[in-house]
Amino acid sequence: MTLILTQLTQLQPLFKLLSSGTHLNRFQDTELWVELENQQSHYQDLFAALGFVLVVDGRGFAYFKTDQGSSYTGKLTRRLALLLMLLFEYQADQGLHLFQFQQWRLDTALLEKLWQQYHAILEAEEMNSPQMLTEILDSAARVGFLVFEDQAYRLLTAVHRYLDLFEELAQAERPDQLQVENAEEALF
Amino acid sequence: MSLIQYGFQKLVLLNSAGYSRAELPLDDSVSIIAPNNTGKTSLINALQFLLILNKQHMEFGAHSFENTRRFYFPDNSAYILLEVLLPSGMAVIGCVGKGLSHDYEYFAYQGSLDLDDYRLDDGKLVTQPQLIGRLFECGKPAKIYPQAELRALLYGNRQKQRSDDPDFTIFPLEFTSQAATYQRILTRTLRLDRLDSKEVKNYLLEIFKNDLQDRRVDFKSEWDKSFADVNYDKSQYDAVFRNQTLIADMEDNQQTRRTLRGKITLWRPVIEQGLYEWEAYYNNTFEQLTQQLKGLVVDIQALENRQKAVYKDQAETDNLLKGQQKIEQHCQELTLRFEFVSDLLQLQNQRQSLQEQRDERVRVIKNAEQQQSPESIKRNLVKVGKEHADLQRQLASLNNNLYLQLQKLLPTDSFELLTRLLAKSVLSLPATENSAVKLDNAVAFQSFAAQLENNLSANRLELPGLSLDLSALEANLTLKTAQELETEISDCKRQLVELQNLLQTVETLAEKKRQQQELERQIEVLDADITDYKELLLMQANGAERLQILAEVLQKLEALKREELTLTDQKSSISQQQDDNKITQKELQSQHQRINNARHQRLDQHPPFTYLEQLPFLPCMEMAKLAMPVLADRIESYNRDCQKLNTLDDNLNRQLMDLHRDGLNKFQTQDSTEQELDALFAYTVNLSQEQAAIERKARSAVVQIAAILRDLRDSLETLKRRMREFNNKINRRQLSDLKVFKIEPREEEALVKAIQTLISTSEQVESGNSFDLFDHNAVLDDKELNHAKDTLIKEGEARGGLRVEHLFRLVFIIAKENQTPAEFEDIDSAASNGTVLMAKLITGLAMLNQMQDPRKTIKTACYLDEAASLDQHNQRNLIEIAAEFGFTLIFASPEPQITARYCVPIGTTNGKNHISRLNWQILEPINNADLKPLP
Ligand SMILES: Nc1ncnc2c1ncn2[C@@H]1O[C@H](COP(=O)(O)OP(=O)(O)OP(=O)(O)O)[C@@H](O)[C@H]1O
Ligand SMILES: [Mg+2]
Repeated sequence: MTLILTQLTQLQPLFKLLSSGTHLNRFQDTELWVELENQQSHYQDLFAALGFVLVVDGRGFAYFKTDQGSSYTGKLTRRLALLLMLLFEYQADQGLHLFQFQQWRLDTALLEKLWQQYHAILEAEEMNSPQMLTEILDSAARVGFLVFEDQAYRLLTAVHRYLDLFEELAQAERPDQLQVENAEEALF
Repeated sequence: MSLIQYGFQKLVLLNSAGYSRAELPLDDSVSIIAPNNTGKTSLINALQFLLILNKQHMEFGAHSFENTRRFYFPDNSAYILLEVLLPSGMAVIGCVGKGLSHDYEYFAYQGSLDLDDYRLDDGKLVTQPQLIGRLFECGKPAKIYPQAELRALLYGNRQKQRSDDPDFTIFPLEFTSQAATYQRILTRTLRLDRLDSKEVKNYLLEIFKNDLQDRRVDFKSEWDKSFADVNYDKSQYDAVFRNQTLIADMEDNQQTRRTLRGKITLWRPVIEQGLYEWEAYYNNTFEQLTQQLKGLVVDIQALENRQKAVYKDQAETDNLLKGQQKIEQHCQELTLRFEFVSDLLQLQNQRQSLQEQRDERVRVIKNAEQQQSPESIKRNLVKVGKEHADLQRQLASLNNNLYLQLQKLLPTDSFELLTRLLAKSVLSLPATENSAVKLDNAVAFQSFAAQLENNLSANRLELPGLSLDLSALEANLTLKTAQELETEISDCKRQLVELQNLLQTVETLAEKKRQQQELERQIEVLDADITDYKELLLMQANGAERLQILAEVLQKLEALKREELTLTDQKSSISQQQDDNKITQKELQSQHQRINNARHQRLDQHPPFTYLEQLPFLPCMEMAKLAMPVLADRIESYNRDCQKLNTLDDNLNRQLMDLHRDGLNKFQTQDSTEQELDALFAYTVNLSQEQAAIERKARSAVVQIAAILRDLRDSLETLKRRMREFNNKINRRQLSDLKVFKIEPREEEALVKAIQTLISTSEQVESGNSFDLFDHNAVLDDKELNHAKDTLIKEGEARGGLRVEHLFRLVFIIAKENQTPAEFEDIDSAASNGTVLMAKLITGLAMLNQMQDPRKTIKTACYLDEAASLDQHNQRNLIEIAAEFGFTLIFASPEPQITARYCVPIGTTNGKNHISRLNWQILEPINNADLKPLP
């Protein structure tokens, strides 16, 4: 392995972003993404040498794969997984194509509707108010799953991780409760 | 496909890569059989020298090129030779070592590959220097080719070949420009392990390049370019719109400025002339005025002299008048006083009578004047009266008074002394009851008198601290008798009567004297009257004369007064003239001063006045005539105009600078500020047209941008179509147990959507749908449009330009029988090793095939190292697919692969490998009916 560090011009910002557990998104961090595309194997090798597994997903996101999350991220992940799953279900019911999730606008109205429809399930996971939903989405935004702009949240490419998982689980036809628990295991 | 199978016939290695000699059939599938580390790979790799040629594209795994050269070309009799049947006939492409340098060179010739051509009679190999001669001898005129030239020949690049060269095209590419790509894929196909989706994408892009409008779109610069004008125009429009009030003001200013310029231009020569003439005018006028003033001074002097004379005359005449008036008044008084006097005699008679009365009185008085004065008579009367009263009192208290009491009680001496001490009146006080003296205790008084006796001795009174000599004192009272007293009293009474009579006489005399004096006074008055009356008589005599004089005096006074008045008038008129003259002089001087000042303050000697006529101006319609007296005003107002023009210049420049600062620079390109202003005003007037123009521009900018993006999108669509065709190509036969094996482009949704947004906006614009730039739906403010633009700009900047390849990524879609297809980015992870190997090989071959000219098929070779990982079914499939794509397949494995037509084991003698055609084993299916015939 020959690494020419000076060629890895975005090493610092990349590492900073990824090591904080954030997902790099193709259209949010275009410059970093392009750099990663061009030098993928080099970065992967370098990060591997440092003990990080860099996953680059062609659908437009990258992250460091970790084995276990803290209890906080675990809780957050579980809640986010549930919230996203409900969102996907809701949107599918509206006849929307799930793979176009990046175009959805998660505005207050939509969150309100989610809450109305699913508050029983959400409350079971200790999400007790629509306010809590935005808090979770804010946290998720900090790690690159969403972005808040123009008065609404937008899902970013990294959400494919959840969507993949849901598909996989759906194929296995497991009960909902289990899916959520597995989400945590699978993602962190 | 033609009956004759063009293509590779055999590969021959002589004294190369550890082979003393190797002959490998290539007209059909081959299975090279040898244990590991024998030389299978190196044998096939030798093809690279002939097919890739460019050493940069050759790949020898871990072996460096230096070592590889040494390995393949140990000396100058090392050969790599390829026999190929081409439409132009059999041909041989060769590569020969050049000796110790381990360099090599290419040669080619038409004809078949006969190994005897390379062997001398002594069994040694022909060396490189002998080669061309030797081949010529064998009837095969060969030619040495530089590597690049041979490459051009093999890949059919006719432009780079000489016309006399035979056609050696082995790889008839549709586009010779793709030779490099072809070679790279070929190299990769020879070594498949690292082929990943990214590479596939790149190769496919290169392959489809000619179908795609594959230009790099610098979206940002395109956008900026297209919208630069619009944005700029809009910014200019906005700036003008914002500053309309200012611009209107500027227009006013400019109008004023031009008017002023016209005025100044008109007046300038007139002023010039005026200034030139002024000095003479001034001097002349001033001299005239001075002279005039002098004359006036003389005039006024004369007047004043005359005036003084008049005053004096007036005073004198006045006095005269007053004198006359006094006389007249006196005359009247006298007339009045003597109204009742008839003549002088009357007065004189009166005086005579009075004088006689007075003389009578004088005689009476003289008699009376012998007597005492009435005052002394009155004094005697009082004295006698008092004496009379005293005597009366003594008579009344004659019987009991203090004197008598004291005489009774005291010894004589004491009594006598005491009478000297006490006053007569005291002693005569009555000593009766209720009177002043009280003597109620005679005894006590007697004892006191005894004591007093002691103090009195020989005319002396001795009192404690006081000694009084009494000898000079007389006794105050000697007691008279009643008779004595009565006599004395009657005397006194008689004396009093006499005195009374005398007094009366004396007093009558004074009255007479007074009467005399009165008469004297009356005589005096009458004397004065007589004098005055005489005067009156005189005055009455010359009354007419006096009246004459009075009239004359009055007349004179009147004349003097009139003259005085005219003099004053004349004087004031002259002094007025003087004042006027002085004012005129002063005015003239002040004008002179002003003109001098103004002359110095002239601004028109400096720019812009020096070239004012060249600046635009409004012709001035005034009559530019100059009268000297108004020159000062004129020049001052001229200077003010100049000043005003300068101020206007400054103002306009400042205003213009303000506009520039506010971003309005559209008109700065004009040659001059004047033109800039004109352009600005013209623009401002047509603001609504400009608005419309900008709107049109914005529309066409969107359309322009969209055209570029449409190319990109069309390219993407073309690519997708090509990819579908490509998938059809690789799916003609089933691969391994894969039901689906596809390489599909996945659009980068955000980008494609952004492009679509821009395109549909453009369509909207083109279709004439309401798209008012300055309205709600403005192009420049469209949120979605801007978002799309930003997305594309961001992407373009990160990638140094937008290309179709950025709009998609490739995924491998693989599904086995009874499975839902799954997407894989990396083919390595998609299936088992063998399957992946196959997939890669087919992909590679399909790509190569894609590049080849479909009209000319020349079968070439590719190989599958480690072929044992494929089962026979798949091997057969692979052989067929490769054949369809125009390739014969070479398997390399330690065990023979019976699916191949030839099985070629590698023999080893004396550490040297060798393959001779005698070792070739040709496998024929036993039951032709069970298998598909080989082509
Ligand atoms: N480019 C090269 N330069 C120098 N030596 C080479 C080169 N290629 C192969 N060799 C040498 O030739 C010998 C044969 O190697 P090769 O790879 O051809 O064996 P192989 O038969 O393909 O073995 P395997 O079955 O293990 O693939 C080795 O000793 C190797 O070092
Ligand atoms: Mg090998």
